[in-house]
Amino acid sequence: MDFSLGSLQESKELKDSYDLIILGGGPAGLTAAIYARRSGLSTLVVEPLITGGNIASTEKVDNWPGDTDGVSGEELANRFTKHAERFGTEFLYDDITEVNLSGNEKIIKSGNKSIKSKAVIIATGTHPRSINVPGEKEYKGHGISYCATCDAPFFKGKDIVVIGAGNSAIEESLYLLNFVKSITFIQDLPYITAEKILADEIQKKENVKFYFEHLVKEFKGDGNKLTSVIFEDRKTGETKEIKTEGCFVYIGLIPNTNLYKGQIELDKYGYVIANEDTITSTSGVFAAGDVRVKNLRQIVTAVSDGAVAAYEAKKYIDKLNGGN
Amino acid sequence: MALLQEQDRQYLKEEFGKFSNDVKINLFTSKSGCTYCNDTNAILQEVSELSDKIKLNVYDVDENKEEASKFNVERTPAVILEAEKNFVIFYGIPAGYEFSSLIEDIIDIGSGNTNFGDELVNFAKSLDKNVNLKVFVTTSCPYCPRAVRTAHKLAMLTDKVRGEMIEAQEFPVLSNTYSVSAVPRVVINENTYFEGALPDAQYIDKIKEALA
Repeated sequence: MDFSLGSLQESKELKDSYDLIILGGGPAGLTAAIYARRSGLSTLVVEPLITGGNIASTEKVDNWPGDTDGVSGEELANRFTKHAERFGTEFLYDDITEVNLSGNEKIIKSGNKSIKSKAVIIATGTHPRSINVPGEKEYKGHGISYCATCDAPFFKGKDIVVIGAGNSAIEESLYLLNFVKSITFIQDLPYITAEKILADEIQKKENVKFYFEHLVKEFKGDGNKLTSVIFEDRKTGETKEIKTEGCFVYIGLIPNTNLYKGQIELDKYGYVIANEDTITSTSGVFAAGDVRVKNLRQIVTAVSDGAVAAYEAKKYIDKLNGGN
Repeated sequence: MALLQEQDRQYLKEEFGKFSNDVKINLFTSKSGCTYCNDTNAILQEVSELSDKIKLNVYDVDENKEEASKFNVERTPAVILEAEKNFVIFYGIPAGYEFSSLIEDIIDIGSGNTNFGDELVNFAKSLDKNVNLKVFVTTSCPYCPRAVRTAHKLAMLTDKVRGEMIEAQEFPVLSNTYSVSAVPRVVINENTYFEGALPDAQYIDKIKEALA
């Protein structure tokens, strides 16, 4: 039983304006807050759900340097949050409803609040991609899930399906195996795309089975619950059906950038275009973490972005204030 | 062994020190078939010892039928926090991510805070029908506290709303009845439901749809 107090999700009295507003309280946003506060910028982090971002729903983080035995995602998220709080970061836990990023005064609207800042760091991360086949909407929450730590207990002793074989799919499946009887993976590519260490670990398990080069075509149910997954062999075109009550979908991520369309340049997938310096196409706006165009989306690359973005934001604000 | 970490204990002492109101916590337990009654009691004892303003009463549900019926307690453990106008309910142990929900509720009640934003406040004022919100959670679900807190905030604002957190694993029969296989799931007045942690405005829309 865990009774550690994460970050309390309520905001204290907020000011009308800040030097810097950071959108998103994941590893990138929280690191940016630590660096921004240490350089003297008044800083607000706006987070719609819970600080920590995707790591908050990750059972175990095994590649965070220094935590030699791994660390729970929840604990790491709490530590990042407390670290940012220690330097006086302010937090608003609410949805961002509207942004105006042009000009020298940026405006962020959240619920009925409107808050101004000189600079903005976008660190809004990503959310899981839907598979967009018939039955997905109908049986989402009725057998189809996207969060292993949330929903694993509902599939105790069951034979389940996992779609995808990337890092998220394999990491979450290693956790799911503590609950379920077996996992059948359906993967569109001919191999496991996760890191080798994860691929090796999952292949050692006796109760897993892989269908490579297969595509999911449909989810079927009895009107109330998922009962099977229909999938197709990409090479032969043969259609197959697997009976299951549970299916976890890990087929990639979609950047949370809808609000910024038309205000900053995004690539064709919706990621914010910015180099290693995190500078976007709009002056005074920086992009850090998974939301930015990059090759490797990891906690270490996100925190690195966060530090750089805070540094660049500080430089920008100093210049705006008439410094060098 | 203490359940609270020292750092959290200090933080809570400080926060609870600012309380202007008493916070009455009623824990309902039962002697049989209650896996987490003892653990729930243990954590509530530790929390209540941090402030004179927090008054914990522990009732055996079978021996205190009158008290239990006051809150219409349906299962144990039940943690009932009494707010000024109403009360909020936790069925099952408020551990993991839900520990934050418990603490935030306590802080709101103790500090008399009902500044929950115009959307919730106005909606609560406008309500003329009773609303039952069952929020199914697991303690390892980071998105669940938000759904719980919205239900509890509404319940703190109006006695038209009964806001229940339900830890799904502790009540498998109930979870099965509502076909819960993903959390958070919010069941409104037994007849409609939604999944996920929705922003207040959308949460309210779902309740309005259910009432229509």
